Amino acid sequence: MSEIKVENLAKRFGKVVAVDDLTFSFPEGKVTCLLGPSGCGKTTLLRMIAGLETPTQGHIYFGDLDVTALPPRKRNIGMVFQSSVVYRGISVHKNIELPLLKRKLPEAERRKRIQEVLELLSLQDQAEKDISQLDNVSRQKVSVARAIAYRPDIILFDEPMTNIDANSKVQFKHFFKELSQKLKQVIVYVTHDQTEAMTLADQIALMENGRIVQCNEPRVLYSEPEDVFGGWFLGNPGMNFIKASCESKNGKSRITSTFFHTPLTVEAKGLDRKVTIGIRPEHLRLSPLPQKGSVEAKVRRKSITVGGQYLYSIERDGVEVKAKVSHPADELIRAETVWIELPVEHLVLFDGSQRRVHAPMAA
Amino acid sequence: MDTVVEFKGVSKAYGKSQVLEDIRLSVKRDDFMVIYGLPSSGKTVLLRLLMGLEEPDDGDIFLRGENVRHMPPKLRNVGYVPQDFALYPHKNIFDNIAYPLRLMGRPASEIQPVVQRAAAMLSIEDLLLKLPTQLSGGQKQRVAVARGIVKETDIYLLDDPLAGLDFKLREKLIDDLKILQEGLGACFLYTTSDPIESMGLAETIAILHDRKIRETGNPQTVYRSPLHLSTMDILGFPRSNLLVGRLLRKSSGVWCGTDLFEFPVVMDGEGPSIEGSIEVIVAVRPESIQKASGNAGKGLQADIYLREDLGAEEIIYLNIGGTNLTMLNPSYRNGSYDVGDQISIGMSAQDIFVFEKGNGSRIGRGKENFHV
Repeated sequence: MSEIKVENLAKRFGKVVAVDDLTFSFPEGKVTCLLGPSGCGKTTLLRMIAGLETPTQGHIYFGDLDVTALPPRKRNIGMVFQSSVVYRGISVHKNIELPLLKRKLPEAERRKRIQEVLELLSLQDQAEKDISQLDNVSRQKVSVARAIAYRPDIILFDEPMTNIDANSKVQFKHFFKELSQKLKQVIVYVTHDQTEAMTLADQIALMENGRIVQCNEPRVLYSEPEDVFGGWFLGNPGMNFIKASCESKNGKSRITSTFFHTPLTVEAKGLDRKVTIGIRPEHLRLSPLPQKGSVEAKVRRKSITVGGQYLYSIERDGVEVKAKVSHPADELIRAETVWIELPVEHLVLFDGSQRRVHAPMAA
Repeated sequence: MDTVVEFKGVSKAYGKSQVLEDIRLSVKRDDFMVIYGLPSSGKTVLLRLLMGLEEPDDGDIFLRGENVRHMPPKLRNVGYVPQDFALYPHKNIFDNIAYPLRLMGRPASEIQPVVQRAAAMLSIEDLLLKLPTQLSGGQKQRVAVARGIVKETDIYLLDDPLAGLDFKLREKLIDDLKILQEGLGACFLYTTSDPIESMGLAETIAILHDRKIRETGNPQTVYRSPLHLSTMDILGFPRSNLLVGRLLRKSSGVWCGTDLFEFPVVMDGEGPSIEGSIEVIVAVRPESIQKASGNAGKGLQADIYLREDLGAEEIIYLNIGGTNLTMLNPSYRNGSYDVGDQISIGMSAQDIFVFEKGNGSRIGRGKENFHV
């Protein structure tokens, strides 16, 4: 019943614009991650949805209901914060019951709902334990149970894994994935961690400077960034960007750059004269010997990265790019000069204002 | 004199807790040495001992060939970027960077060009007249590094200077620090608990684990062929899989068995004597586990517990009858793995390393051309 819509929403703190004239909707039954660097406005947006922050401008709707002026407790929202909101000294069961008591639910109904969430979160065995006997993951699970027991329409997560140690994060992610598939509510999840977002989200809303710059399924966001920022922010390291010049003729454009053996053809006219080519480090092809279509480059540095892959910093004509290679051959590890190829199927073209150009390219 | 820093059997305890034990380490003139260890493994203590801010209980430290036992900190002449750097809030950035030089009593005419040069190296020239509160986290970190290198010397200590910064910033600063060290041509002794950062920076890496330096060497060499269990265990992301195994001698040679599989072992040397069988630690890196293909053994049936998407790579957490294994797939393939699915996995025996259970030294590795 209750997708979240925000219209022309803005929040300013003095001269600082935290959220900038944002219009967006969050669908039901899906996990939308708000992802972005610190200061991008993701937490402020979440807090406005929760009613913890008053917008400077604009409206927030839950379904058709304008909630902009409603206080938090009237919004029927469940919220999970960075640190778990639980009470020590009382049992898990009692912790879950408290918010239900506050809402004056009759005893039979309370018992039913507590049972329901205990099962949903696999906490049955822990129900009578005191909170202080639980580890961080279980404690955060109890916060989640408290947030969903009264069946809110909307569940908000604000970096819920911040205080969970690295080893237990895997457990929490597993739990969250299972849970989110069963829930039918609108789920909004704030994180600055791209792996968390890529792993947990149905869709990611990428934020920069108070705006949502792109919203897509994780893999689409990763492979097809709509602007240079998205290409840079996702990935470790992010996308390589190469400046290139562009000439248009007969409805086609030719792009030349020192990284390409022959100019690229783009099925588009009227492109800017200066464009940017993006390619992810894992898509560069490196060889110790010349290959068809490859150009020569110098190896500046190389080191071992995620999963034992080699991360190369390579330079051609003063421009440095990164390449990730898994299981490189010994000749390639030893090479000081390499031959690189940027396969056309992995290139993303950006115009002079760093927005993506949607047009087929060919070598 | 090629070695500029040397630890000879240095130990340090606080009360009953032994933090460092018999530390032996020598650092060359223009080396970028990274001391890599988990959080609270004693990395900071090691640098503080070298600075003279702490005294060893045992052993000796040499700086440029000279025993520093009786050398006061201010005569040790090393640059230092502490982990909890604090900028003076009321001083502007120029004065913050200049502070160590003023402390040494350098004249203003000398200070000006040196601060300018350090600021230029860290691309913060535009910030010199600002106050710390006007700077972002990354900018402050650059200022802290600039203040650490402003003392022009040949040895710099950097104590986990990128800790707490978001990873896009670290990505950039790792490159900058590497270029900075090459530019200065000085010795950097750098600590971190991030395995990727450690290997991205190090010319030489020293693995500090469980009070001792467990292995030292070129990061690519020690990663690919670790000689100590600690290296295998903690150096790398994701971390390696460790299993308990048993070595036993068969007519066909030495074999190692675990709950999941068994494989023939090529021993490194004579190794420990195997009477009956001995318990060992078997380790395999996540990237060495692969989806089993037709000709690569029968494969192990594993349930997928979680799939993490790193963008370029994916980490698959597996469960095989109660044993957890982590597998890394370097190239993401959409839809190939899903939580709850069962897959068949395997690995090449030569990617499996065997370590002594007691002291963690390597005993051998699996034989070539054998798959489990």
